Parts: sequence; structure tokens; C-alpha cells
Amino acid sequence: MLDTSHHRRRTSERLQDPEFQAEYERTRQELAQVNAVMQRLDDLRISAGLSKADLAREIGRNDAVVRRLFTAEVNPELRTVAALAAALDAEIQIVPRRKVRRRRAPRTAPAEA
Amino acid sequence: MPASPRPDGWDVIYYRTTDGGCPADDFLDGCPVKVSAQLVAVLDDVAEAPPPRYSGGGRWEVMHGGMRGFYEVRAQGPRRDQFRLFCILENGTALELARRGLSRPAIAVVTGLRKPWMTAFSQRDYESVRQLGVDHRAQFPRRIEE
Repeated sequence: MLDTSHHRRRTSERLQDPEFQAEYERTRQELAQVNAVMQRLDDLRISAGLSKADLAREIGRNDAVVRRLFTAEVNPELRTVAALAAALDAEIQIVPRRKVRRRRAPRTAPAEA
Repeated sequence: MPASPRPDGWDVIYYRTTDGGCPADDFLDGCPVKVSAQLVAVLDDVAEAPPPRYSGGGRWEVMHGGMRGFYEVRAQGPRRDQFRLFCILENGTALELARRGLSRPAIAVVTGLRKPWMTAFSQRDYESVRQLGVDHRAQFPRRIEE
């Protein structure tokens, strides 16, 4: 059998660069979130006993659009994801990872003349 | 971290030319660091998924028409330049994979191309990618970077 470890070795080398590592991890997180959303929707679809064609009809979209969303190949539009969630009696939520820090300094009272 | 060899994951392999060059590796080395990081991250994400059930958020796309049989990894770089890695899926029965020298399915990264924002690759560009793909598929076992 061929030695297929080249990619892993090269990636390990490239990850020694902090700029590469930061962007690699940011991209992996972004992709994981997209996949998690689509996987959750697909799980709900299966639990509801709906085919992809059923779900497409529910949101008034073409079968192929929904099929592609679940199997690869396209960047899911937020509106479509929201429509799918609603059709499955679910909703999209954005959950902050930590308390959002205020970026702006608090307002101060105007100086007296 | 790079893709670990999960039991249900796929390998990522790099096509090697007859003269020993590795177009995909050369391309990645020539990309801005952030772009190559994005491209490699998508490859690892797809390989771990693995590809048949991957929903890649627009960064992993099946190609059509004359490029049927290829998949592309997409990234955007400085001045919105577009970077593409062209890949072929290596899947089949254990016997067929063994004939190709593979112990499990793999994403074969063939080469990459860059283009300015809002432009298209030429037919010559696509033909050069196709030719590398033809050469890759003709090799038993596959000729890859090791």
C-alpha cells in the first residue's frame, strides 16, 4: 500500500506558523458550525419522518435545492435555513460563547462651562 | 490540528507528476498563508466528514460540465482573488482501492489555480487540470507524494 501520510506531515509543519494555525482553526470552527446546523436540521427531518422532497414542498422550494443543502456543494442561505427550521418546528439561535465586552467607553457628563 | 486517521475518515493524497513535481503542494506553498490555511482546513474537514455526507458551506463544491468528476475547494484571498484546489474522490470496493494502492478512500488533490475576482478560468486552464486528472487516474497504483 502507498504511504498516505504526506498531507498530515505537511499540515503539521504548516501549523508551526502561528498565522497559519490561527486561520486554520478559525476556518475549522466556522465549518463545524455550518455542519452542525445542517446536521441538526437533517436529524429533525428524519425524526419528523419527512423526506427531503417533503421538506422542500413544506418551504416551497425545489427538491434539488434541499437535497444539495444536506449533501454538500452549496453555501446554505440563512433564509433557507430559517425556513427549514420553521418547517421542522425549530428555530435558529445565536449563542454567545462568553459575555460580550463593551467596546465603547461609558459616556461621561459634559463638562460644565 | 491536522486530520487524524479516523476509522471512517478519508485520506488526503497529493497527485505527483511524471517528473516528480507535486502541483498541489507547490500551489499551497505559493498561496498567502491565510489562504493556504483555509484550503487545508477545508480538506481536513471534508476528509473527516467524510465527503459523501459533507455539507461544506460553499467551500467544497462539486464541479459540472467539462469538469465533471472533480470537486473544488474554494478560498478568497487578498483583493478578493479566488483560489481553487481541484480534487478527485478515490472511492470503491476494497479490491478496487487496493488496485490503486490505497487502504481506504481518499481525496486526491490534483492541483490549484488562482484568478482575480469576477473572472473565469479559461478553457485552457481547465484542460490543464483535466489532463493532470487523466494522468492521475491512469496510474495503478496511484502516483502520489509520499
